[in-house]
Amino acid sequence: MTTINNEKSSKLKIQMKGISKVFETEELETHALKNIDLSINEGDYVSISGPSGCGKSTLLSLLGLLDMPSSGQYFIEGQDVSDLSLDEAAEVRNKKIGFVFQSFNLIDELSVFDNVALPLRYDVERPTIETITKRVNECLELVSMSHRKSHKPNQLSGGQQQRIAIARALVANPAILLVDEPTGNLDSKSGDQVMDVLAELNKNGTTICMVTHDPRYADMASIQLKLLDGMILTTPVAQLAV
Amino acid sequence: MGSNMGSAIGAIMSNVSSIFSGQVIYQAKQAWQSLKGHPGFIASVLTTMGLTVGALLCILTLAYVLLVKPLPYPDQNSLYVVEHQLINKDNKVDGGAFTYPNLMYLYNNQQVFEQAALMHLDADVLLSLPANPMLPISFVTPEWFSLLGPKMALGRTFEQTEAVNTYNPVAVITYQTWQHDFAGKVNILDEKLNFSDVSYRIVGVLAESFSEPQLHGIGYNSSVILPWDYNTVSERDRKTWGNDDGGLIYLAKLSTKQANKTINVVQAGHALTSLVNDNWQEKISSQDFFKGWGINLQVKTLKSVLLSGSDSTVYLLLAGVLGLVMIACANIANLFISRTAEQQRSLAIKAAVGASKKQLFISIFSETSILMGLSTVIALFVASGGFLVMQLYLNEYLPRIDELSINVFTLSCAVTIAILLALFFAKLSANMINYHALNSTLQSSGKGAGIQVSAKIRNILITSQVAIVTALVFINITLFKDAINTLNQPTGYESNNRYFFVMSLPSSNEDNKDELLANIHLMREKLLALPQVEMISQSRPPSAFGTYAVTTAKTNERYSAKGKDIDHQYFDLINQEFLQGDNFSAQDIKNDHRVTIVNEVFAKQLAPDGNVLGLTLNGSKIIGVVNSIQIPNSKTIDARFYYPASPIRNMVLVKVKQGQKLDRETVVSLLKEVSSQIKLFSFASLNERSKSRLYTQYVTVFTSGVLALITLFLSSVGLYGILSYSTQMRRFELGTRMAIGAKGKDLIRLIIKDNLLAIMLGIALSMIMLLIITIGFNEQITNYLTLELLPLLFITLSAIALISFIACYFPLRQLINRPAIHSLKGCE
Ligand SMILES: Nc1ncnc2c1ncn2[C@@H]1O[C@H](COP(=O)(O)OP(=O)(O)OP(=O)(O)O)[C@@H](O)[C@H]1O
Ligand SMILES: [Mg+2]
Repeated sequence: MTTINNEKSSKLKIQMKGISKVFETEELETHALKNIDLSINEGDYVSISGPSGCGKSTLLSLLGLLDMPSSGQYFIEGQDVSDLSLDEAAEVRNKKIGFVFQSFNLIDELSVFDNVALPLRYDVERPTIETITKRVNECLELVSMSHRKSHKPNQLSGGQQQRIAIARALVANPAILLVDEPTGNLDSKSGDQVMDVLAELNKNGTTICMVTHDPRYADMASIQLKLLDGMILTTPVAQLAV
Repeated sequence: MGSNMGSAIGAIMSNVSSIFSGQVIYQAKQAWQSLKGHPGFIASVLTTMGLTVGALLCILTLAYVLLVKPLPYPDQNSLYVVEHQLINKDNKVDGGAFTYPNLMYLYNNQQVFEQAALMHLDADVLLSLPANPMLPISFVTPEWFSLLGPKMALGRTFEQTEAVNTYNPVAVITYQTWQHDFAGKVNILDEKLNFSDVSYRIVGVLAESFSEPQLHGIGYNSSVILPWDYNTVSERDRKTWGNDDGGLIYLAKLSTKQANKTINVVQAGHALTSLVNDNWQEKISSQDFFKGWGINLQVKTLKSVLLSGSDSTVYLLLAGVLGLVMIACANIANLFISRTAEQQRSLAIKAAVGASKKQLFISIFSETSILMGLSTVIALFVASGGFLVMQLYLNEYLPRIDELSINVFTLSCAVTIAILLALFFAKLSANMINYHALNSTLQSSGKGAGIQVSAKIRNILITSQVAIVTALVFINITLFKDAINTLNQPTGYESNNRYFFVMSLPSSNEDNKDELLANIHLMREKLLALPQVEMISQSRPPSAFGTYAVTTAKTNERYSAKGKDIDHQYFDLINQEFLQGDNFSAQDIKNDHRVTIVNEVFAKQLAPDGNVLGLTLNGSKIIGVVNSIQIPNSKTIDARFYYPASPIRNMVLVKVKQGQKLDRETVVSLLKEVSSQIKLFSFASLNERSKSRLYTQYVTVFTSGVLALITLFLSSVGLYGILSYSTQMRRFELGTRMAIGAKGKDLIRLIIKDNLLAIMLGIALSMIMLLIITIGFNEQITNYLTLELLPLLFITLSAIALISFIACYFPLRQLINRPAIHSLKGCE
């Protein structure tokens, strides 16, 4: 059972208690996550690594409310989100969670600006155009992509696309940024640039939880979790790093 | 598109030339191998295209037979029918049929035609056969045979020995009569036919292949041909210049020389009109009634007369079935597109090992050819089934139906359609392949690359579906509603539990009159003694009237009105409402009093204040006014009058008790008991009679209803297919939107918004199509153009909107009702 305590922060952002996830297919039951306890505080930079199939992506999708746990309790900023309807989950995702995917997941038909603005358009509070414009520009500034506002995603390089994706994840001021192998589709130079952006964001106070295979990038996080067979290893053991 | 077609044809040519290298067989085998694994796909294509192309071939053949195919008679292009019109003093057509003396005068004196034949149609009971069948008879002059040139199965045609005024009692029968009524008897030529008082010797049998021109009405074939002299027009009417008879027909032929000189039909009409009219004016100069009247003769081609307005039905059917085919094509196009998308990997591998663009096209074209070839075979079966159905049900509705069969025209249409469709679908599929992207499909492990149906093609498919379905459904609902309105028109009389029959009586003369009267009296008694019978009336049926010239005594004003003879129980029996005055009394009928009853419409014409009791019409006093009834399937209500029927009237209306029935056999045996001389001529319930008058409406209700439903169904399937494909393609994008906080209703709104333009465009196109139809066919459809169309339009648009919404929503449902991770994962 691992509880992470970070000296520099006090506020609890994420708390999971006894979370399990079981996938049932016709032939077999896969226990992808077993009894996970996890706490993330404001300002933490958490990396999750482990061998393929150990449950990293599954954990991230539960953290991001993309899927529902089979059992256990989950709190985001103190709110119990263990048992939400699909629409309630969507609302929480919209307000509190920013996703960065391995394959960027930008929408080809929308301009860079509109891609970044998208989460605000799904905001139930319907922010005004001015608010949206201001916030989008701020976020593009943060990832140094202000000069490409009206481009379409397929006119950009992979690294640039991922930075746009990060801007989109930030735009709604989420409680936490969930990042799944952000460099998986990038060459090492663009990968480094993206990691620099994330490090910079964390330095300025953004809470980040990142899945990565790459030990180099895992090391950049302040807290490094190792996942094995659906369980978090209690003691950080160096030789388990992939 | 033109250059595409060009290159496609080029591809075929090279395909054809490669026959010599066995390429075709190889390609066909390959195509079959790849198709074999997709029975669902094959089944969808074959059923959809088989059925719709089958329907198309059926209607195309119908159009060909009706509009293009030459009539099956020698010199069919020089055959004409002369139509006769009585023009009243207001210059309006009063009667559309020949008067007997005018017809004979025309026959004897005209110089325009090389040859002319007279025809008269009637029916009579054949006494010489024990079954006493009622047979339709054509009375014709010998020229009828030379104009129509029928082949004979046996014996001879009519010749100079049967010319007018020879009174030679011989007969020719049709092949069908020979087979059915005489069981194909070998020595049929020795037989005699007894109708009424005359015995006719059979001198010939028409060949089976002969079909007579149905000039008396669609589906009306005669069984026996008798010489003109014996026609059933009474001696009196043969001399009356003012009474017309719809059974009289004048068929003629212009000599080929004349036809070459392009004598036009209008000129011929003028020449004949002045010939007949001059003579007629002279003959009727003594009759005041016809002052200011005239005769007009019109010459029409036999073909146009036979078509008798059916061309608009054909065009309508053609439009309907073309719409269906287009919807079906859109659906199948969608299937082919999805299949090509599915095949992207195998296509990429083929490209990687060096297949050229053309070779890929040929491999796709081989597949579409096999599918369209098989569909066409099915379509031909469907079409021949369709011919049988049409022959069963539309025989009385459309002319020349019995000539329908799979012919050279049908086959060449089938082949052309199959080739065009195969090319179209192959082109469509091939156009989707982005040859530059193909190679990268293989290299990259495939993130969203590869074949996708472009949004443009998707939108075109949606727009065309919506446009066609909206226009078709609207047209069909309009026809449906109009027919239903006619069917539901209140008639103003009761037809349930009422029957009508006609007796064939021996012709009455001074000697047998009393006996006949006594027999009829007996018949009435026996009929009333039947337990189920409540009431009888010796009258014409409610819907039958003749046209008469009438003069009022007071003003000497002349009218042309519809009239019929009835007895004193008629109005009671059919529950027709009395408005003023009295009904006929039993004495009026018995003693043939000169009294008459008019309907409200006529009363208003006779006296605007409606006070007509006491006026006289042709010397008969008006004693009552009745409500005006609406005859099923007639648009207007005429001025009508009723006069006392003779006590030996051969027509009987019967009212039976509630829930009881009367059948033909009962009446037949009852008449047999009364006298061997009285035969049953026809028998039907009043409901059956009005049903047959409303046949067109029933057919319209059925076809338009079915067509509307099929159209809605096909296009629902099609729209669903396109939209579910496009949702499938956007699954990853939709998952991403869900991940960043889009709710179910946000996505529904998004999908609807994205397809709205295409749908609206489709609706707009359909409106333009309808507008063009309205402007182009203004005359034919003014009857339909009413404000009632607005709610129908609203219903149509609602139906389309609902279908579009369902097609948007349902494919989406499986995404938005599951956690977002499913949509995000499914595409990786
Ligand atoms: N929808 C599913 N149905 C059944 N089993 C699943 C499903 N999703 C994941 N699994 C199983 O759960 C386990 C964890 O999968 P997960 O995707 O979380 O692994 P991962 O750690 O992200 O691996 P990788 O590093 O290769 O991305 C695996 O054994 C996988 O097969
Ligand atoms: Mg993973």
